[in-house]
Amino acid sequence: MRSPDGAWRWLLRKEWRELVASTSWWVMFILAGPLVGLSFISAVRAYGEASGVGGTAGGLADALWPLDGVLVPTLSAYEIIALFLLPFVAIRVVAGDRQSGASKLELQHPMSPIGRMSAKVLVLLAGWCLAGLPAVLACALWKIYHGSIYAPEAGTVVFGHLLHAGLIIALAAAAASMTEHPSTAAILTLAFTVGTWVLNFVAAVQGGLWERLARYTPSEMLATFQHALFRLNLVLAALALIAAGLVLAAIWMRLGVAVGRRAVESVAIVVVAAAIVFACSFVRADWDASENRRNSFSEPDEETLVKIKAPLTIEAHLAPEDPRRFDLEHQTFSKLRRILPNLTVRYVSSTSIGLFEQANAHYGEIWYDLAGRRTMSRITSGEGVLETIYGLAGIQPPKEDEPELHGHPLAVRPVGAAPLFYVIWPVAIAGIGFYVKRRKR
Amino acid sequence: MLLEVKGISKRFGANRVLRDVSFSVNDAEILGLIGPNGAGKTTLFECLAGVLPADQGCVFSNTHQVEANQRSSVLFFVPDGIAPWPDQPVQWALQFSLGFWGGRRHLYRDVLNDLGLEPFLHMPIGTLSKGQRKRVLLAIGLLSPQPVLAIDEPFDGLDLRQSREAVVALRNHVSHGRTLFVSIHQIGDAARICDRFILLSDGRVAGEGTLEELAALAGKRLGQAPPSDFEEVFLALT
Repeated sequence: MRSPDGAWRWLLRKEWRELVASTSWWVMFILAGPLVGLSFISAVRAYGEASGVGGTAGGLADALWPLDGVLVPTLSAYEIIALFLLPFVAIRVVAGDRQSGASKLELQHPMSPIGRMSAKVLVLLAGWCLAGLPAVLACALWKIYHGSIYAPEAGTVVFGHLLHAGLIIALAAAAASMTEHPSTAAILTLAFTVGTWVLNFVAAVQGGLWERLARYTPSEMLATFQHALFRLNLVLAALALIAAGLVLAAIWMRLGVAVGRRAVESVAIVVVAAAIVFACSFVRADWDASENRRNSFSEPDEETLVKIKAPLTIEAHLAPEDPRRFDLEHQTFSKLRRILPNLTVRYVSSTSIGLFEQANAHYGEIWYDLAGRRTMSRITSGEGVLETIYGLAGIQPPKEDEPELHGHPLAVRPVGAAPLFYVIWPVAIAGIGFYVKRRKR
Repeated sequence: MLLEVKGISKRFGANRVLRDVSFSVNDAEILGLIGPNGAGKTTLFECLAGVLPADQGCVFSNTHQVEANQRSSVLFFVPDGIAPWPDQPVQWALQFSLGFWGGRRHLYRDVLNDLGLEPFLHMPIGTLSKGQRKRVLLAIGLLSPQPVLAIDEPFDGLDLRQSREAVVALRNHVSHGRTLFVSIHQIGDAARICDRFILLSDGRVAGEGTLEELAALAGKRLGQAPPSDFEEVFLALT
């Protein structure tokens, strides 16, 4: 019998050939071009207009950053591709062997199921990276237009998309392995995606536990990276979930093991994964990779806040759907959490929209408790919150002497992008696909 | 004795497909698993190969028990009715089989010739006819490295000439020391190729031995002289 290493290399070659032979992957590869092109062209056009194309942008142009204006919108095409095309490619790769009967032959090799699954996943990731070529073209065009790309934030967003794809691949692989038919696996995968959307919606309405759970949905994880925030707890949780999905797929790939035993092992894997994700929530390390420090307070403020060692508890009487709560959470508390390890934030409300709580005199109050000293404020701006905390801690606010950051406006039109993404890419890839398929025969 | 199978049982819900199946496989023989449709032949093969979990029973090789996940060290199973890697050409599938399982590379040319695979080496497996696909599966099996080769319905889909050629190829293979365990539902084909037989009926072993031994057993059961025709033997014992 062939050594496991030699057999694994053969398996890897086989999986690659199977991927290249699959129509689903070529369709994803071809469609990636027009989808990325559409996003890129719309983004560059809007960015150019906001920068002054066809008029004067005034002060707006100074607030334009390529991260929000071009990079994230362009790469958002990959969120769509990952949700609606990648699962079918992954299911084809994982379930194809069972459909054709090849698994009955291949399973007679004593290779570990994890080894088998790793070959499939590596090939899928390679296929996904190739499908990323239109994004590389878009970035190259943006540079040709003299646009700015800040490598750390671009890398963070790309890494987020890679993790997102990994989650989708793991989910689809598990579904494909656990079900008898690929169509059932596809329905399960899409049902999971829709389920996470429902969870995000409920989290936005109800807050509380739902909100904490929703942080680990693929779309919410990706959103964090799209803000150029590299959070270690999310990376670890995503890797744990990816590993869990792939191990589940590997467990159910073993057709020769009794279903009962496979079910028990699956439950154990889910429990372990849940425990790891829970443990990850205590990891606080993160890195603001954005060029304009959008996820951080100014450096003087952070240096001052670090001096506050006592536990700080903030109780905000605001409903989940109150826009003030949204601003408070995203503009201030998320930044505070990164710098104050002993911060506890509690939201108090009896309704989800808060509309009929306005009559309550306490609605809108934000209570601060720092080592037993308490104060109340209704200010929701970042500056106001910091001022209240400094006052409570008896610390002099720092002097703001940092130079103001200016964006990178670029008044251009997406010249050449449309023919490249809408014509040249699909024709070229379809031609290559046709040639490769013919050559393999 | 190369393999000893003891007490294999398998049920699908309330349907008991295999009931305490026990038999032995000798070195360098062609053992035929004979039984009507639905007797449990395929299920028995899948349980033996470890691609389907048996409810009970065990397999011994040279007195050592071989767990289901280790069966591939002694036995390779070629299922019936599959079209593995349908997008890949035959030549690549055979090379993959040799590379993946570390098979009998020195037999490659002989197997191609014996089974007449040359004309469609470059055709994708998914485009082959049932008989052509069967010959590819036989080739994959013959090139595998394990001492025992189990083939489910080796002649299903083959015409008369192809069946005879396949019989010659299989016989030739056994003469080189390989052991074959084949399931066949056509009694005539079985009598032509097999050295010994296991008669499987309704999930039970109804008889095991050479044609003469089974004929004697049938005669004893019928209370008359042993039947000379294998079909009569089969009907008497199942």
